[in-house]
Amino acid sequence: MKPYVLRRLALAVPTLFLVSVLVFALMRLMPGDVATRMVEGHAYAPTLAALRHDLGLDRPVHVQYLDWIGGIVLRGDFGRSYWTRQPILEEFVRRFPVTLELALLTIVVSVVIGVTVGIVAAVRQDTAADYVGRVLSILALSIPYFGLAVVVVVLPSIYFKWTPVYTYVAFTVDPLQNLKIMLVPALVFGVTRAGPIMRIMRSALLDVLRQEYIRTAWSKGLSERTIVLRHALKNALIPVISLIGLQMPLYIGGSVIIESIFRLPGVGLFFFEALGKLDYPVVQSVNLIIAAMVVGLNLAIDLSYAFLDPRIRYR
Amino acid sequence: MARRAVVVALLLPLLLALAGPAAHAQTPKRGGVLRIAEREAPGLDPHLSISFLTHSYVSLAYSQLVRFPNGPEQKHPADFSIVPDLAEKWSVSKDGKVYTFTLRKGVHFHNKPPVNGRELVAEDVKYSLERFMAKSGFKERFEPVQAIEAVDKHTVRITLKEPYAPFLNHLANPSFCAILPREAEDKFKDFNHPDAVIGTGPFVLKSYDKGVRVVFERNPGYFMKGLPYLDGVVIEITPDAAARVSLLRAGKVELPHIWGWLSPDEAKSIQKTNPELAVVRHNVIGQGFIYMRTDQPPFNDIRVRRAISLAIDRKAWNEALLFNEGCIEPGPIPCAMKEWKLEAAKMDPAKAKYLTGFDPAEAKKLLAEAGQKNLTTPLYHWPGYVVPWRSYYELAADNLGKVGITVELKPEEYGKYISTTALGKYEKMAMGPSTPFTEVDDFLFGRFYPELPTNQSRVADAELTKMLVAQRREMDPRKRKQIVDDIQRYLADKAYYVYVPTWPQYVSHPPSVKGFQHHDGYGLGMRLAYTWLDR
Repeated sequence: MKPYVLRRLALAVPTLFLVSVLVFALMRLMPGDVATRMVEGHAYAPTLAALRHDLGLDRPVHVQYLDWIGGIVLRGDFGRSYWTRQPILEEFVRRFPVTLELALLTIVVSVVIGVTVGIVAAVRQDTAADYVGRVLSILALSIPYFGLAVVVVVLPSIYFKWTPVYTYVAFTVDPLQNLKIMLVPALVFGVTRAGPIMRIMRSALLDVLRQEYIRTAWSKGLSERTIVLRHALKNALIPVISLIGLQMPLYIGGSVIIESIFRLPGVGLFFFEALGKLDYPVVQSVNLIIAAMVVGLNLAIDLSYAFLDPRIRYR
Repeated sequence: MARRAVVVALLLPLLLALAGPAAHAQTPKRGGVLRIAEREAPGLDPHLSISFLTHSYVSLAYSQLVRFPNGPEQKHPADFSIVPDLAEKWSVSKDGKVYTFTLRKGVHFHNKPPVNGRELVAEDVKYSLERFMAKSGFKERFEPVQAIEAVDKHTVRITLKEPYAPFLNHLANPSFCAILPREAEDKFKDFNHPDAVIGTGPFVLKSYDKGVRVVFERNPGYFMKGLPYLDGVVIEITPDAAARVSLLRAGKVELPHIWGWLSPDEAKSIQKTNPELAVVRHNVIGQGFIYMRTDQPPFNDIRVRRAISLAIDRKAWNEALLFNEGCIEPGPIPCAMKEWKLEAAKMDPAKAKYLTGFDPAEAKKLLAEAGQKNLTTPLYHWPGYVVPWRSYYELAADNLGKVGITVELKPEEYGKYISTTALGKYEKMAMGPSTPFTEVDDFLFGRFYPELPTNQSRVADAELTKMLVAQRREMDPRKRKQIVDDIQRYLADKAYYVYVPTWPQYVSHPPSVKGFQHHDGYGLGMRLAYTWLDR
């Protein structure tokens, strides 16, 4: 197990290096110039040159890259925002709990819905319940979560003079109020993400239910409940867990829009606003941190297979 | 239409008689907190950011030497006359070069460390204005300033290199001239930290939860006795526009925008779904135009430019997109700037038709004369400007197409547009709105003086240039107005910029919000100082 983990960690280094180069290059390929943007065309040439120098934008591109990546690798310094001049890591750490909570609640919602409907659809294959479940999953897949979010925010405000948008309160301050605020965004996001989980759950479970050890279980006279939940479900969950792992970047990526609509002060909003303002260091560093998290999470998910399926051993 | 106008004309005095005394009879009540939904400001330091959000946020906390009128003081939203703020009076030397300001005595900063409520003195004014001249993106506004001196504790003298008529207007602009305490910069390095926001204004910044809300409380020691009426103001940070309007509808905020603004479509929708909310229409100092490379063919030919202006059906735009509530003669000075505007009706009609007229037949004739029957041009623009801009670009292309000009719409990303096209770096033709400036000089000198980046049409007209400089140096307002009128007459048939209708702005809030008068001067603090809640 240990050599496997070390090998995977070593492989993460080139991955993250490539991510860093890509995001650095992409930011600079974006049209527009952050210095001009900061003064919105009000400044004359001398001001702009001074501002560029101040931000270090007058240095060659490779120097800028090395300065940024060097700061992270050598000093753990993720740089400062061009606009607010505040340390990025500090802001990230402050905002991350919001995004993490949203992601976790979203996963809970999508798993509860997706797995439950998936099981029912598989066990009652080709019945009305199966068809309803499959139609619902296609529907969930085809509704964009940002569209659903806007509808949920706007329509009740018109018809009931109510809106699910609140002033954010941290979980540590008032857990109940916090959950009340998080519930609607997590439901909106979770419902749309439940579609793929339900489909995978259904097909994986159908597959497992046809295997011989399940037939053996039936012949032993076990109840359906025990067979499905105790014997079949655990094996059928592996592809579902991989799917959640693969969807992890989507949960973080989706938070960008969800957070701005429901006014949650998380990492997604931080990233979204930085992107609009061409705040290079923020976009680069946030991207890199999230990439590192996704790499770490994928590893954790691979390791969890061993727990779910004792036949899997890592060497 | 005519019948409706008659009915309105007959009913209006009656309505005014009924509404007028009732409205005036109400005396403002103290208390209550006003909530505003708005995006987060990029920073809080008024000199390090040029965002209107930054300036609106911190205008609650800071004062200036002089300011624009607000609330009951203002005649209309674009009233840019100058009233005292920290300076109780001022005098200008005969040659127009020396300004002497006498400060109010006994004005104290907010009671927050490290300033701890000490008295404001002339040194603070000198420090703040010099910091503005060193750091702000707007610093060229003070380019004519030679020296700022603190003569004594309560007297500030500003010496200019040359007479400069726009100077007081710039001093009154909340985007530039907040008076800040030096100790806060010494402690916090700049004024971006919420604890560094220490001013002499009507509200005190109490707390700032990043990405969530900014809380201001009434300044009990504010130097205008009895103001503000509100106990506090809360900005609920809401990045999404649809969510802001939903918050207004659901009664969770009083203003859906830092100035209460709604787009025309949002306003019409609110009037239908929430008739209980007040929706007030204002003509604001907006302006939009097609700009062209007048230093190059084919747009150096006045016939081509006139043809473009004649091709634009301004009345139809106003009807189709602006509910007939826009202004169809918005250039070169915006309609709302009543004190400076010379209406087309007061000009020679033969010339004014090239400013506001619609005559496709003559446009075609002019193009034929200029040998440009099959003219093709790009139209650079940023599609993201608020309603009605996206439709504007398409209407322009459509109108020009009808006189034989093929327009290729060239959308650009915002960063690129604002840093190239909007600064006059483009080919042939572009289109977009103007910054709503508060000083008439910006619409004339800024747009037409050779080589300036804001001279987007790259105009270089010697006769015009002379007048542009003259109006800047004329200190007598009446004489200056004459020169400004001459400039407007001169520009009428030049078509250096082709102006398109100006859109009105809608301000919405619950009827319990009283005394909130829109003003185009970027500052929010004084607007809110006169605002009260009738609950």
